[in-house]
Amino acid sequence: MTALARTSLTVLAGAYLAGVWLDGVGSTLASAHLPLTANYFLQVAALFPKAAVMSIDYRAEGWVCADNRWEEFDTRPYFPIDSDNKENRFQRVMHFFREERTTMHALEAYLVDRHNSGRLDDGLPRDKPITGIRLVSLRIPLPEPGDRLEPLRRRPLSEYADRQKQPFYHTPKSKIVERCASGDPGLHRGTE
Amino acid sequence: MMPRGFGGISAWLDEPVEVVRLALVRVLAPLSILGFMSKRLAHADEWIGAAGFRVPDLGGDWRQPIFVPALPSGCAWAVAATMIASGLSCSVGCKTRPSALIFAATLAFVALSDRLAAFTVSKLSPIVMLAVAVGPAGTRLGVDAWWAARRGAGPSDAMAPARSMRFLQLLPITIYSASGIAKARGDWLKVPLVLWTHLHDSYQTSISFALASVLPGWAWTLFQGLVLVFEVFAPLWFWLPRTRSAALVFGLGMHAMIGLMFGPVLWFALLMMTLLAAGYLPDRFVAPLDVAADHLEKRRSERGRPMPK
Repeated sequence: MTALARTSLTVLAGAYLAGVWLDGVGSTLASAHLPLTANYFLQVAALFPKAAVMSIDYRAEGWVCADNRWEEFDTRPYFPIDSDNKENRFQRVMHFFREERTTMHALEAYLVDRHNSGRLDDGLPRDKPITGIRLVSLRIPLPEPGDRLEPLRRRPLSEYADRQKQPFYHTPKSKIVERCASGDPGLHRGTE
Repeated sequence: MMPRGFGGISAWLDEPVEVVRLALVRVLAPLSILGFMSKRLAHADEWIGAAGFRVPDLGGDWRQPIFVPALPSGCAWAVAATMIASGLSCSVGCKTRPSALIFAATLAFVALSDRLAAFTVSKLSPIVMLAVAVGPAGTRLGVDAWWAARRGAGPSDAMAPARSMRFLQLLPITIYSASGIAKARGDWLKVPLVLWTHLHDSYQTSISFALASVLPGWAWTLFQGLVLVFEVFAPLWFWLPRTRSAALVFGLGMHAMIGLMFGPVLWFALLMMTLLAAGYLPDRFVAPLDVAADHLEKRRSERGRPMPK
């Protein structure tokens, strides 16, 4: 390796370490001057700086025309990677993009299409198509030290109190009514 | 091991280090990374291919560093196969430099392709593998070293200047320091039970549940304080020869507990433990690896020697 190459690599390595440190301590110096892609690779420090205030889980319900109501279905068959923890891709979509409407519309189309294809068991009968979704965040209070603890297990939405369920996205009712009337989920053609 | 003052940095960077330290990263880091990737690799078409959900192109949204379209299923599986093959090849030290570079490229690609399944390991691993590729990681304890010995090349250098190893020594310390300061600026000095609050979500393992059930609240505050002091002052602990070994033991213990108590964070813990062990194990613990490397090269060079007529 030439001296120039060695020096260049050393400078790059030093800049990377400085960038990691600055990003971790909350400086915007790197993010203000670097492209998003480069800055993304600097975001490796600052793990768990805040206390959790709730245990959060995200769930989905589908509108079943036949029953005229929302019913929970399991998203894990459609997001199989790390299906039982918060590194699951569905949980991550919710974490990052729950307020980003384009992504939520794409997710709605994906989930409705997957359920209605009937290929996997998601807890809802395969012969009952859905025409819309409602996405809910479950906000479960944390125990205090000394409380009697129970191992974490997935319970159906219906077992949680309403105050613990926070809906943040749903297919507009007008769309649902329209799709139920036509008997066509209609999402393959895109949503609003 | 580290410079005594700013003026010594250049000398410290070029000071020879045991090559087996870098070889240790070469062997263990790809295995930790592949362990982390294994669940993703098993669903490659859902992960980076068109079979799964994709976040649409958001046109420069801060949460999407770059939009990478879904790959056709065949290509997704090909990327997965390339990642596994290059990672394993690098780990055994076979064609080390190209293997490490290809592995790093696949890692960078998947980190950018799917933001949803990308975590610290995803972003850190391409950098670690680039450092492995740049240094003499394949010259000891691996297939490349074995081939070189068979070809009759002289014994490899046990010690060599390896700036990439210096980088890998500084990397965990930089992360600790930044994380410690972020924690201090966050809740860790204000909320006594930060650690406790993170024991009750889907990262929970049977070990974290058992410990949460039996340990009193003050124990979690104590652990929190120890972790904070360790991280904030990590540069000091690892710089001072008197505290370096204790810092290493604490760091390894901390990551072991993180791996045992926070389910999928296991692979991150193993990667960090690899960097710590390779960078800061006392020489007497590294010496057996050197002996093994010498033995391997000697045996192969003897076997590869032409038979006397």
